[in-house]
Amino acid sequence: MDEAASQLERDHVHSVYERIAPYFNDSRYKAWPKVKQFLLEQEPGSIVADVGCGNGKYLHINDDIFKLGCDVCRPLVDSAWGRGHEVQLCDGLRLPYRDGCFDAVLSIAVIHHMSTKERRVRAIKEMARTLRVGGRIMIYVWAMEQKRRKFEKQDIFIPWNPNPPLSPALRQRGNGTQSVSDDSASSDKHRKVRSISSMVDEGDLISPGQQKQQRLWFFSRSLDSVLDFTSLTVSRSSSSSLQTPVDEASESRSRRTSSRGLIRQMSSLFSSSSRTSLEEDVFISDPNEQVHKNDNRSSGNGNETVPVELVHDCSAVPLPDLVSYQRDQSTCEGNVEVDGTLSQQEPLQRQESTASLLESDGMSGQSSEQLKDSCLRYYHVFREGELTQLIQNHVDELHVLHTYLDHANWCVVAEKVQVWKV
Amino acid sequence: MKLLTHNMLTSHVQGVTKGYPLIIKATEVKVNELEFNAQFVSRMIPKLEWKALIQAAEWLGQSQDLPSTPKPNYESVEDFLRKVHRILLEVEVVEGCLQCPESGREFPISNGVPNLLLIEDE
Repeated sequence: MDEAASQLERDHVHSVYERIAPYFNDSRYKAWPKVKQFLLEQEPGSIVADVGCGNGKYLHINDDIFKLGCDVCRPLVDSAWGRGHEVQLCDGLRLPYRDGCFDAVLSIAVIHHMSTKERRVRAIKEMARTLRVGGRIMIYVWAMEQKRRKFEKQDIFIPWNPNPPLSPALRQRGNGTQSVSDDSASSDKHRKVRSISSMVDEGDLISPGQQKQQRLWFFSRSLDSVLDFTSLTVSRSSSSSLQTPVDEASESRSRRTSSRGLIRQMSSLFSSSSRTSLEEDVFISDPNEQVHKNDNRSSGNGNETVPVELVHDCSAVPLPDLVSYQRDQSTCEGNVEVDGTLSQQEPLQRQESTASLLESDGMSGQSSEQLKDSCLRYYHVFREGELTQLIQNHVDELHVLHTYLDHANWCVVAEKVQVWKV
Repeated sequence: MKLLTHNMLTSHVQGVTKGYPLIIKATEVKVNELEFNAQFVSRMIPKLEWKALIQAAEWLGQSQDLPSTPKPNYESVEDFLRKVHRILLEVEVVEGCLQCPESGREFPISNGVPNLLLIEDE
């Protein structure tokens, strides 16, 4: 399962950030005030690590402390270095720092990209290891509970949008109001999108009326309700056949087909020129309806040419490779057990189909339009209290000091404590 | 990569217990000028593994007569602090690699950035 988890993160976190790194525009995003405050409060001469630093958004704050950043994304790290920051390429699950060498650690909008609970715990433990006793860590993750949109499930794909519209809310927060897409290749333009979009969340920016914004809304609603792991949709026409119980092997096989079909379907949805004419209400998902559909675990779908209007009306099928991820955190309905081999193969096949889609869309570097369509980022959004509980139950060496909701993020500040092992 | 950073880095290869400090093999080094802040430097010193710093300075040919242990009352010895400032913050490895002293595994440094990503099985 860890291999599959890591493959998923490669496909829908690491490679996405690598592709979209050049498209960010700095002026949209500033350092979050509470994170900035945390840094400013550190004693002069402190050593602070930003684990998952992206292009170094927080590394310039507070000249009296020594900051270093690390990330898995090479283009973002290079961009941070170009701005004069000390940065390394490394993986949050295996940090190359000695024990107790940091006075403080930041983890801003990072661990919500890890696809299993075990990996999230591991990442937190690694950061705790590098903290000195008495040192503090600040963790920010996307909240499931958000004002303007409702995530149906905790494990979801979110598209990256290069041009979110600006709203009064944004201006109030003191962010820049300039419009985006300056295509300059200068490293200054590179930006870490994960902290961006977790905080200046596409969903938050929507105000109805403007077509462009409507499209965004469509994206975020549709993805929340349609493309998340346990509420994938298939064509209505085959829904009647979904009731029949089938044996596990053929069910998995047809799920494989269905997930390939689904991805093609989703992709054609996003790239079709008819998108602009879609009404928002085509994709209105009644949350209750959605929940019921999640209960329907049947397989299905050879139909790959489903009209868009039917998509929202369809039954839910859990992706077999993600059933095992869901095992840990699934609050719902027991998902069907898939044996180890199948769940190993699945991500590869999905990856193949996604890859071939990308190629056919002409991915080789072009329009941000196409990039947007195929850059789906994986998120595990956190429920209230989930992050705190994770730390309390699994990370003895951290003692939670504060928990709060900061815009669309759950934040925890914790202190490293000495753990005496008998 | 500055030597202050290097002082924090260790080999995280599976099973390695003596992975610190990483051996520096530099092919390109540069020295920048950075504003001297005595308080900053003197607060850094207790956080350093001093021997590793001396070793790193030697690998880069930048020993500068740094003592094998920090001077007593170093907070007030400006000359000493300036030397430490230089070696910690002004000397940078731009190209080269870091080698695990136990396993021999090399981690490249390119464009000032050490690549410490491990492959799955390491």
